[in-house]
Amino acid sequence: MKVRVFALNATLAVVGVIIVLPFFWMILSAFKSNAEIVGFEQSFWPREWTLQNFISIQTKLDFFRLFGNSVFLSVTITALSVYTSLVGGFVFAKYRFRGRGVLFAVILSTMMVTWAVVIIPRYTMFREIGLTDSYASIIIPAVISAFGIFMMRQSMDAVPDEILEAARIDGASEWFIFHRIVAPMSVNAISALSIFIFLWVWEDYLWPYLMISSEEKQVLAVGLTTFNGQYSTDYGGLFAATSLAIVPVMIVYVIFQRRFIAGAASAALKG
Amino acid sequence: MSIHTSTKQAASSSAPAASASGPRRIRKPASELWLRNITVGTVMVSIVALLLIPIGIALVGSFHDWNPLNGTFDFTGIDNYVELFADATFWRASANTLVFGILAIVGRVVLGLAIAYALFSKLSRWRTFFRTIFYLPTVMPLVAVAFLWKLMYNPQFGAINTLFGLDINWLFDPRYSLLAIVIMTIWKDFGFAVILFLAGLYAIPEDVLEAASVDGANAWRTFWHIILPLLRPMLFFVVITSMIGYLQAFVQVLVMTNGGPGTSTQLISFMIYDQAFVKYDFGYASAIAFVLLVATAVLTAASWRMNQSAIDTPRRRRATKRSEKRPS
Amino acid sequence: MIRPKRRVRVAASIAAATVIAVSLTACGGGGSGGVEDTEADKGLPVAGVNLTYDPNTLVNDGKPIELEWWAWSNIEQFQAIADAYTEIHPNVTIKVVNQPWEDYWTKLPLELQSDGGPAIFNVHNSQHDNLIAKMEPYDIDPADLEADYTGAAAHVIDGETYYVDLGLMSGSIYYNTDMWEAAGLTEADIPKTWDEFREVAKKLTIREGDELRQAGFNFNGAGQAMQMGMAYQLGQNLFAADGATPAVDNQANLDVINRFLDIYADGSGDADFGASATESFGQGLSAMTYAWGWFSGTLRNEYPDLKWSAFQTPVPSGGETPYAYDRYNGESTFGINANASDAEKAAAQDFLRYYLTDEESMKELSLSFSIFPAYKPIADDPAFTEDPALAAFGDIERYIWPGPVPSTFETSTATMWEEILFNGVAPEDALATAQKTIEKDLDGKGFVPTEDLYPFYAAD
Repeated sequence: MKVRVFALNATLAVVGVIIVLPFFWMILSAFKSNAEIVGFEQSFWPREWTLQNFISIQTKLDFFRLFGNSVFLSVTITALSVYTSLVGGFVFAKYRFRGRGVLFAVILSTMMVTWAVVIIPRYTMFREIGLTDSYASIIIPAVISAFGIFMMRQSMDAVPDEILEAARIDGASEWFIFHRIVAPMSVNAISALSIFIFLWVWEDYLWPYLMISSEEKQVLAVGLTTFNGQYSTDYGGLFAATSLAIVPVMIVYVIFQRRFIAGAASAALKG
Repeated sequence: MSIHTSTKQAASSSAPAASASGPRRIRKPASELWLRNITVGTVMVSIVALLLIPIGIALVGSFHDWNPLNGTFDFTGIDNYVELFADATFWRASANTLVFGILAIVGRVVLGLAIAYALFSKLSRWRTFFRTIFYLPTVMPLVAVAFLWKLMYNPQFGAINTLFGLDINWLFDPRYSLLAIVIMTIWKDFGFAVILFLAGLYAIPEDVLEAASVDGANAWRTFWHIILPLLRPMLFFVVITSMIGYLQAFVQVLVMTNGGPGTSTQLISFMIYDQAFVKYDFGYASAIAFVLLVATAVLTAASWRMNQSAIDTPRRRRATKRSEKRPS
Repeated sequence: MIRPKRRVRVAASIAAATVIAVSLTACGGGGSGGVEDTEADKGLPVAGVNLTYDPNTLVNDGKPIELEWWAWSNIEQFQAIADAYTEIHPNVTIKVVNQPWEDYWTKLPLELQSDGGPAIFNVHNSQHDNLIAKMEPYDIDPADLEADYTGAAAHVIDGETYYVDLGLMSGSIYYNTDMWEAAGLTEADIPKTWDEFREVAKKLTIREGDELRQAGFNFNGAGQAMQMGMAYQLGQNLFAADGATPAVDNQANLDVINRFLDIYADGSGDADFGASATESFGQGLSAMTYAWGWFSGTLRNEYPDLKWSAFQTPVPSGGETPYAYDRYNGESTFGINANASDAEKAAAQDFLRYYLTDEESMKELSLSFSIFPAYKPIADDPAFTEDPALAAFGDIERYIWPGPVPSTFETSTATMWEEILFNGVAPEDALATAQKTIEKDLDGKGFVPTEDLYPFYAAD
């Protein structure tokens, strides 16, 4: 038994080291000068530690402003779309009505649409309505998530109908049943979905870039692309900004991780 | 489309359970109708406005010489499609996408499943720590990851050749370039699969696992005959989402190889990106995108069918109620 | 199952994050102070030679006005120019906005198409097609521009100018001076012809057994930049005499390809020796490489310790001036948004004249872009001979501009070189494929080359 324990954990450790090495390499590179990052003589630890990359991301990019904007947008969108997913999931899991199957299939199939097809027509539409340079233009397309509705429906399938019936007999309104009974039972799925959505919003850059024109409203993911210039890439700046950019996502992950794992089970497709 | 019918099946298969739980009420309460109508209405409006209309515009655009950046929009009939099917790069990109997708999905699933099972095992230690480590790459922005790996793949000073004592021009040798992109993609994505499989594993009722160990089944047999069948829904989910995701992958290629050397790492979605946002030929890009959409739909439907028949034939014992458990 | 404590924690963390976010977004900002200008006479001299700028006027009747200026690089420099202008005209503020290069060319045309966008924006001529319809012509006599700006004539469309070259960029051979000395070479060994070049490359190559340690010449990843210029040396234009059909698949290009393949066949370089020639040169692994002017800036910034210089690209036969040494391309001046308000356009036109006659700024911009200045009054400034890459242009007249060529030329040629170097495709076949792709991509674009404006133009 001891041998097996050791073998298993040693294997995990080896894989873990391989996985984590590029990550550490990136963090350490953020403390190297660009010349050292692309130089022929490579070393794991910076030969000369420098904070220049971190200073320049603030001066060149106003990093913390972009960071704040991204946190605000990610939190807002996550909260809104998790809520709409809950409502949608509830309706599709617990109500029987004509066309439900077709409707749900339509929702699911929207996940297959390539962003490249819709982004330009969508841009034109948003422009016409006059939504450019507003956070509304980023929030609106993200409020309803097909994936979220799907996941929540899966999760709520597990809530026995008897509980709902009992509540209805007691005279509870549907709003009450949803908010006070079903939603709280889906905390795990909510955690999982929150992490997914937070990460997607946090990473998305083309749409925010096209929509937002004021610098002070810009988001972090767009800022990251400024390191890739016309002729060369500022690796140091990119890695410094990335190292800081993943902090909130990691925090969200660490806070929710247990519920995340329990909740992710709702994603499984049932036959 | 066939997806519709299969979802209907899915819906109807759970319907008997619902009707068995209570007599069908003649009149639904007003609050239910209200909630349902608002929800369905909002969802439909958003799908129509944000997806169907743009898709419609793009579909029309695929029959045009279309450049929204300078206002060109001239009808050309099916020229874009004709050109596409005669385009050698398109066929090369299709083949590459297939290879890329299969390798990346297999890698993600196998590695994800192996590590999830190891972490699920009672023998493993520091599970939270390991879980966090394996999840790390997932939270990194893909653009940054692609640049990082581009440096690591450098034939002269890259970490990979140095570390493993190799002499391979990873991104420029047509034998390795696509593989190099696959490896990077698996590294970035497998952590997500670990979490999903762990979720699936923790959702397996304890008594099933206990029964298996009482039977004296060894670990491998337990995994193969009890765990894997119970994980099938999750496995299917990972495969489907990976498939949809990898059919749309292009950032890796954009940053690391630009489709090269030659056309060795051309992927369909990279072609779409290139035509739309580098060459601004939106008509042609839309035509490719529609072919991709149809292909995605067919593949998804096919996998769905396969999954259905695999479930229906042996009718494995299924846990009727999943108890939500918290992982250790 | 319902754990109130946890829910509170979840809610609290979301709330906390929102508070942080909101407070971060809330700070900063602030409106622009509206300053009035009442004094037209600034007591400043009129600048410029043929094209002139008189600062002693009121812009926008002295009323406050703000312009936005989009750029993808050198933000501080452009802002400094704008601020210097505000010094003269305190009622005009110009804000330079940094936009990432990658998606600039999607966003800017889309904004312009929908009648929005900044009042002024930097232009890259490769994006000419998608911008030109929404650009306001310069309120400057083309003859004046032509008299003061090299190459301005090539930018005139129906008697109007929309942007001109700020400076010209082309290619040269960069060499590592330490390696040069170590190989026992001197100034006198700088090759004038490709045959001499090939020999020098051999001398600069260091091998240990089978292994290449130092490449004499490296052009990995630089093939496309080279290819499109070198055929001119053999008298081959990029376009056929009809001014529309691209001329890629021909003997001249095949000769160029084979010339460079020969150098690798000599063992003076290798397709697997470094992913990018410029990177390999910067790392001190390759003795010579071909690159455009931008590379000297990269070398100064990223490889400050490397000792290097540059010489003019060799030619096919010694002592003979080729049809053209190479092709050039320009870094452009800014464009004015045709949809801006009249007041903004008027202010932009005034700023434009200031910008185009500001010798000091033109000099600094040219130096930092490593471009040969198009502004003639500063062309002889000694500062430009100090940059070896700029000094390498012996005879700027003998460089040809094919026009704002669509990017397909570059991308297709890049693919062609990869096919040849890595995928074992025969040069003849790769050229044929490139020709086909370029033709396909140009089809219906109505692209008109400017090769025929070259003073020494000769149709094939």
